[in-house]
Amino acid sequence: MTDDTQALAIGLRQRDPDLLDRLIEQYQQRLYRYLLFLTANPSLAEDLFQETWIRVLERGSQYNGKSKFESWLFAIARNLVIDASRRKKISSLEDLGDPESNAPYDPPDERTSSVLQMLVSRENEQSVQLSLLKIPPYYREVLLLRFNEELALEEIAAVTATPISTVKSRLYRGLAALKTAMTEGAA
Amino acid sequence: MNDNLHERAQRHLAESIVEGLRPADEAWLREHLAVCPACAREAAATQNVLHALRSVPVSLPRDLAARTQLRVRLRAQQTSPAANGSFWLWVVTAASWLLGVFSAPLVWRGFAWLGANFGLPKLALEFGFVLWWTVPPLLAAAIILHQKALTAEWSNKH
Repeated sequence: MTDDTQALAIGLRQRDPDLLDRLIEQYQQRLYRYLLFLTANPSLAEDLFQETWIRVLERGSQYNGKSKFESWLFAIARNLVIDASRRKKISSLEDLGDPESNAPYDPPDERTSSVLQMLVSRENEQSVQLSLLKIPPYYREVLLLRFNEELALEEIAAVTATPISTVKSRLYRGLAALKTAMTEGAA
Repeated sequence: MNDNLHERAQRHLAESIVEGLRPADEAWLREHLAVCPACAREAAATQNVLHALRSVPVSLPRDLAARTQLRVRLRAQQTSPAANGSFWLWVVTAASWLLGVFSAPLVWRGFAWLGANFGLPKLALEFGFVLWWTVPPLLAAAIILHQKALTAEWSNKH
């Protein structure tokens, strides 16, 4: 446990409002992007963003400081996404909790795509954004955690509550799926 | 160059990104990419995918952090025993109960004095004495329950 994470754990246990303000500022971009990648729905991602921080406030005492704070934060957000998908039956999130199932994946419809597309500001990046929507969310998730968040395989395994072998397998398949989707998109 | 070499190169390419390669495999891959244009193109394409993935911009909704901070602070206030006043209510209740226990003989004497001087019936005195003890805790309990109901209502709305 480092001094930083220990101090963080103590602050969260004490529900320090200034600490929470700083954390919200610090992690807003990363957390929102993670939620947006998972849900492909800006409005839902925003709701879950706020709900995640409420959970951090209420369950701050459960953070023991032994792991990275962002891993714990993403795990909370992920559970909220799964809860929301069960409640609202969001098609793009189905199988997030059971990604090894053999059910075929249906990409989100054009309406959902266009909503996410609005968030893309540069044209040359629309291709990857749209390609991401074509691959299953459990691949999107590990790709984001590995290549955007640069989490270690062990940390991704902790966030997704899966064995490291599964994380690796999803990364390999996710990369292949993304390349295929981008190639098809470019054709 | 046979297919096995290309397959090995593809496998190592993916491994180098996901979990890293042993130095020997890394050296082999470097040599292979130097002489195999098809695999070199594949490596470049993979790097492009990664670069694009890393540079996907996401626009944050307006004031998201500020709105979240406000909501978290409100929730903290609503759920904090010290902040919403119930902590002090409990302290005051406990203090009044302790004072009540120790002052009971004096209070009873006061009621007896009232009875003697104003000719009140004993039943009225006893009823008054019981009310003296029961009304304050009942009021405190009512306030606490009311506050909890308000907190629950606020939580449901937000």
